Amino acid sequence: MEEQEKPTKVVDARGSFCPGPLMELIKAYKSAKTNDVISLYSTDTGTKKDAAAWINKSGNQLIGVFDREGYYEIVMKKTK
Amino acid sequence: MVTNILILGDGAAGTIMANKLRFLTHREDAEITVIGNSKYHYFKPDGIHIPLGIKNYRDSVKNPKFLFNYGINYVRDSVTRIDVDNRNVSTQSGKNYTYDYLVIATGDRLVPEEIENFDREAHHFYTLEGSLELKEKLSGFNGGKIVIGPSSIPYQCPPAPYEFAFQLDRYLRRRGIRDKTELHYIFPLNRVFTMENVSNYVQKLFDEKDIIYHTLFNLESIDAQKKTVSSLEGEDQKYDFLILVPPHKGQQVITESGLAGDQGYIAVDRHHLNYGDYDNVFVVGDATDLPISKAGATAHFQSEYLSGRIASEISGFVAEELYDGSVACTTVTGDEKAFTLYFSYTRPPRALFQSKADYLLKWTSADTYFSGMLRGVM
Repeated sequence: MEEQEKPTKVVDARGSFCPGPLMELIKAYKSAKTNDVISLYSTDTGTKKDAAAWINKSGNQLIGVFDREGYYEIVMKKTK
Repeated sequence: MVTNILILGDGAAGTIMANKLRFLTHREDAEITVIGNSKYHYFKPDGIHIPLGIKNYRDSVKNPKFLFNYGINYVRDSVTRIDVDNRNVSTQSGKNYTYDYLVIATGDRLVPEEIENFDREAHHFYTLEGSLELKEKLSGFNGGKIVIGPSSIPYQCPPAPYEFAFQLDRYLRRRGIRDKTELHYIFPLNRVFTMENVSNYVQKLFDEKDIIYHTLFNLESIDAQKKTVSSLEGEDQKYDFLILVPPHKGQQVITESGLAGDQGYIAVDRHHLNYGDYDNVFVVGDATDLPISKAGATAHFQSEYLSGRIASEISGFVAEELYDGSVACTTVTGDEKAFTLYFSYTRPPRALFQSKADYLLKWTSADTYFSGMLRGVM
């Protein structure tokens, strides 16, 4: 199995509801550098779809969505 | 012993809290002081009517000092420091206030300066001045491309931008210039509203009314020369007329007092509304970072819970009641119709029906607000 790239930034938005996690991710993205890997933790199921849609629309790379214990992790790379 | 209740803020949340608490406590048991410095108390939901000439602004504005019930000390001053460890609040006039209970109801503020060219290019309906200016500018509009939407999230009254788009559609039709106008709606998420089922409903109405929407549009910049708004996602929209909700932040005094980070919204217990480990410091209204609407209706429901809780504690009876995130709001869909949403943290709004009755509810809500809701009688 390919080893997951280590995140440069972790955004812990667990307990926050839509649109909180996506807005937190966007905030972290704005202050990130190109090639930074941002990891978003969320317990809000809707964010899975919203964050993936935003990452694709903004032309960045969605590395993956991973199920963790009691939450899930969305990992993206800033490519722009 | 008299319990000293200090409320910071004279907007919807602070006024409703004070008036409800006055109803629920005896004057010999509780002293209620409100500190605030609002120039006037403006009923903000009328911002979707005033710029379109549907309502006179005079019905939407009151002097705050006349909105407090008998037995409330209303101090006109600005809070400069909140020290929750030492139970002390300092004000601009140099006074210090202590308390047994502190209710922070300082709301949030508009920060248009955070986006370059916002003041020069964009119009809005989030203040009385903004609404009146927008009214004047719209009267001179004779066709072209209008772009409307929120510049960022969170903002007060989440449905307001789409309500305004619907109202504007009707206004342009009545002026006979709808066919000369393109209405474009921008929204930061991958739908046109935060709640999915409401979004689907609104999206259908947008299609019917030929309102073009652009989702995942997080406003990045305004180019005043090219008359273009650009999104973080790389999309550009040209405009002839721009209507944007200004960016919002919590109050500076909240950040400066160490109660919140740069955004200025205070983290509170979602069911008890208290701040941190403090069981005598509460936050209501727009000042919280709760994942629910920033709206007067939210402040109303929160005040209903919190005033009851504080009054119970003062009387020696402690009931373990929880705030469940309940909010109700009526939102306009144009053509003198509206629908009302009821929801909470765990209960999304269900069936959506447009009706004239709901529109009348919205139309008359300034009267209901000033005479009933704000007074703490409902």
